[in-house]
Amino acid sequence: MKCSGLLALALLPLLCLGAQKASGGRFEEFHARSQSSAPLRLDDASYDQITAAPRNHSVVVLLTALEARFGCQLCRDFQPEWDLLGNSWAKGDRNGESRILLGTLDFAEGKETFRKLMLQTAPIMLLFPPTSGQNAKPDGQPVRFDFTAGPQSAESVVGWITRHLPEGPKPAIQRPLNYFRIITITTTLLGIVTFISVAYPYILPVIQNRNLWAAISLITILLFTSGHMFNHIRKVPYVAGDGKGGISYFAGGFSNQFGMETQIVAAMYGTLSFATIALALKVPRMSDPKKQQLAVFVWGGIMLGMYSFLLSVFRIKNGGYPFHLPPF
Amino acid sequence: MVAAALEPFLKGDTGRNTRGLLRLIILCTIAGAAVASRLFSVIRFESIIHEFDPWFNFRATKYLVQNGFYSFWDWFDDKDVLDNGDRWRLMHRELGTWHPLGRVTGGTLYPGLMVTSGIIYHILRLLSMPVDIRNICVLLAPGFSGLTAFASYLITSEMTTSPSAGLLAAAFMGITPGYISRSVAGSYDNEAIAIFLLVFTFYLWIKAVKNGSAMWGALTALFYGYMVSAWGGYVFITNLLPLHAFVLICMGRYSPRLYVSYSTWFALGTLASMQIPFVGFLPIRSSEHMSALGVFGLVQLVAFVEFVRQQVPNKQFQTLLRGLILVIFAVSMGALVLLTVSGVIAPWSGRFYSLWDTGYAKIHIPIIASVSEHQPTAWPAFFFDLNLMIWLFPAGVYMCFQQLKDEHVFVVIYAVLASYFAGVMVRLMLTLTPVVCIAAALALSSILDTYLVADNPTPKEARPNGQATGDVVKNAADYIKDSLRSTRNPVLGIYSYISKASVVGAVTTYLLLFVLHCTWVTSNAYSSPSVVLASKLPDGSQHIIDDYREAYYWLRQNTAEKAKIMSWWDYGYQIGGMADRPTLVDNNTWNNTHIATVGKAMSSREEVSYPILRQHDVDYVLIVFGGLLGYSGDDINKFLWMVRISEGIWPEEINERNYFTARGEYRVDDEATPTMRNSLMYKMSYYNYNALFPAGQAQDRVRGSKLPAEGPQLSTMEEAFTSENWIIRIYKVKDLDNVGRDHTSAVAFDKGNKKKKTAKRRGARVLRVE
Repeated sequence: MKCSGLLALALLPLLCLGAQKASGGRFEEFHARSQSSAPLRLDDASYDQITAAPRNHSVVVLLTALEARFGCQLCRDFQPEWDLLGNSWAKGDRNGESRILLGTLDFAEGKETFRKLMLQTAPIMLLFPPTSGQNAKPDGQPVRFDFTAGPQSAESVVGWITRHLPEGPKPAIQRPLNYFRIITITTTLLGIVTFISVAYPYILPVIQNRNLWAAISLITILLFTSGHMFNHIRKVPYVAGDGKGGISYFAGGFSNQFGMETQIVAAMYGTLSFATIALALKVPRMSDPKKQQLAVFVWGGIMLGMYSFLLSVFRIKNGGYPFHLPPF
Repeated sequence: MVAAALEPFLKGDTGRNTRGLLRLIILCTIAGAAVASRLFSVIRFESIIHEFDPWFNFRATKYLVQNGFYSFWDWFDDKDVLDNGDRWRLMHRELGTWHPLGRVTGGTLYPGLMVTSGIIYHILRLLSMPVDIRNICVLLAPGFSGLTAFASYLITSEMTTSPSAGLLAAAFMGITPGYISRSVAGSYDNEAIAIFLLVFTFYLWIKAVKNGSAMWGALTALFYGYMVSAWGGYVFITNLLPLHAFVLICMGRYSPRLYVSYSTWFALGTLASMQIPFVGFLPIRSSEHMSALGVFGLVQLVAFVEFVRQQVPNKQFQTLLRGLILVIFAVSMGALVLLTVSGVIAPWSGRFYSLWDTGYAKIHIPIIASVSEHQPTAWPAFFFDLNLMIWLFPAGVYMCFQQLKDEHVFVVIYAVLASYFAGVMVRLMLTLTPVVCIAAALALSSILDTYLVADNPTPKEARPNGQATGDVVKNAADYIKDSLRSTRNPVLGIYSYISKASVVGAVTTYLLLFVLHCTWVTSNAYSSPSVVLASKLPDGSQHIIDDYREAYYWLRQNTAEKAKIMSWWDYGYQIGGMADRPTLVDNNTWNNTHIATVGKAMSSREEVSYPILRQHDVDYVLIVFGGLLGYSGDDINKFLWMVRISEGIWPEEINERNYFTARGEYRVDDEATPTMRNSLMYKMSYYNYNALFPAGQAQDRVRGSKLPAEGPQLSTMEEAFTSENWIIRIYKVKDLDNVGRDHTSAVAFDKGNKKKKTAKRRGARVLRVE
């Protein structure tokens, strides 16, 4: 599959060889066009023209599918970076010293090319090294960049290009200042400062409230000890199917978990902690003996049931775990 | 009757003495239990150093006791002759690691551990007890765990008036798997003494803040210095103490006590830490230490302003002063940021930075991300290591809010921060364990103190003669206006015996279950030396698998003394320690590129690898292969990390995708990709392997897959040694061919193949290059 694609690519320049004019003027022509709109918007004809061998310039073409009906999220994610790269290079290289042309070929305008290259996916980036001059590769076959690692930044694309075309200048990427963001941040900061200075007398009792801080600390601790950071880092799914149409709440395996699973565990820990607090602090403060007796049984029962359930859940995770408590 | 006889022992001075004696006996018993529960591996196997890093520490300790303390110190501190880098290079030339570079910086070497065991060794010699240094190294961690239990008794006793809390904390600390995991006999690593030092430094700090005494502050600094000499995790203390001070100031709790203790600790502690050659000037040059410096400045400012305020009691002036503090603080923060940006202050080192930006290591330093103990922690690991304490922990933290004195603030901060760190990295479970033990003991002791009282209160009457905790809680509820919601009413006590009995019974059951759990975990999960493996035979008897040592001793006996061994970095220290041969890379992962070079040699085709091996003078290549035995920690399972790490340096030559099948599976059987099957690691692992099985039946028991009928061919190396269970395989790198042929054709010629066939194979190879 891949081989045949390459084969088609190899044949491609030969096919359009006849229709070319002198390659000397070609780079200048396209480079002049790229000064007004970079990267170049190509179609089937101009694609063939720009990549035809022999050439004394390099071409980087992004084959993409931006239209909404193709649903190519990756294409749309990468497009701003690609435009940024094109603009920076057009500005930084007005005289065309790098001898690199950047072009975009959208599927809507280049169906023929996609068909010829036998491309099933987008985006794909192709780099055509020059066949003569600097960085020349004799066979002139394009190098292909698959976006297997997700959307790339403009800098990493430049890194990739530099690896294949080590010589020649590479203009630096110039990211435009995000004025909107600067204004937003300044306004927000000023707003917060104003709010605090105005509402200080009302906020102070809230900040100094011990119950609030206790609640914050306990929630944070429960969150972290129930494996929230693991979810965050590994990006685990929230739940998964069990293969029989139902939902499996607990992931198999000791070092594996689902998002919902950690929430269940945090709730169990929370209940157990709360039962402990109730038994230790609330119950001895009850003045009615009958009520106190009842509270002890209720909280003790909750603690036993929950702990037993926790152990049974842990046995799912760790098959060889030998201990259990009565109810579960 | 018995009660009457005991009466005189429980009252007055005698009573106090009796209780003190009892406490001492209990503590000694706990220390005994702590030591004993760490001896599984010694009893099952033998007195042996475990794992990987301990082998290096053991080696350095042997150097210390053989060449004497001064020689060891000179070895470190010979500044007149050599500069820092050369000194290390010399040392590691001697140890023969990181061939051909030598190790330039100390990386993980903190001398505290070696010096401690050296001192113990010499004291024992002085007492005419000639104990082998190996046994001291093996038993150092269990010994210190007894001290850790004692230290957690001390620190918990500072938190509460309940006498049982400290004892409970000591017992928890003694047997909790979270701490045992790094301190079983034979696990001779920095953490072995560092956790004791951590807990004890915190205890001294609490003492210092409570008393405002320069003596306790200086003691804190002293033990902080010891901690710096022992473990890189000292940075945790360096940041936690300033944070505590900072939070206290923000809460408006600045006091001269805080000023005295913090200033003493910071000044002396920083000086002490700078005495360690490896730390040197880091405390004033790197971002990790800047918070301590900043809070030191803040404390001075606040102290000055407080002083002026007492002299000039004008309200406007006070506001002005407060503004002054804020402005100076903001300006100096800005200056710090500026210095960091301009590079005067070193930015956060990657290892610490990856704690905050959790995606950082995976992208930029795969070598750190590749270590299994740097992975994030899933919830079962918490429960596995802490059992019932994991849910007593939040309750204990809540109880700290009841009184919220300075020391309780410390516990709360410690708890929140440490649980975050433990969530990000499995390894940092170790720093979480002490605070979990303290908080759990606080929670449990308050239950036991409430329910283990013999006399019942009379209903409808608030009686003040409850137990100790009861009193305190009541007083707190009375005197602190903004107390917790659940402690507003006065404490009365428990009325019925049934309630008491049921709760106490349940708690006792949970505690017994905890002990069973700890023993089970320690015995099953944490007591394997990983150098020696154990398995059960069908008849239930134990079978020892000793392939590692078999292979290392083979290397020691059968190879030239200067023979360079290449292996993945995990085995570097072990080869250095047991086989006494130079290695290319070892567990001190300071040079990513060099490790990536080894990774590239392992994951490329023979034609690419051979020049690399020649360039690095490699004589033997050692790999670990678990396919025959079903040992899952082998090199094929670690292989993807080698690929990833070398891909980071040579993205054009190595591509992780090529090692997966089209469907994204990692396979070793018939469907394995050509890149996989031509990689040196694959070939070395499965070379000759199918000779063990009937034709076409070769089976990999780790990956559970059937191997290709035809095994891989090796041409640039030859099998030198394979251990009994095939876990270790050693290959000798062939010398250049005598007649100048390349190895492929030489092998083909030896086999009697005609030249034509070789040419054909070469043609096919060109296609693959593309």
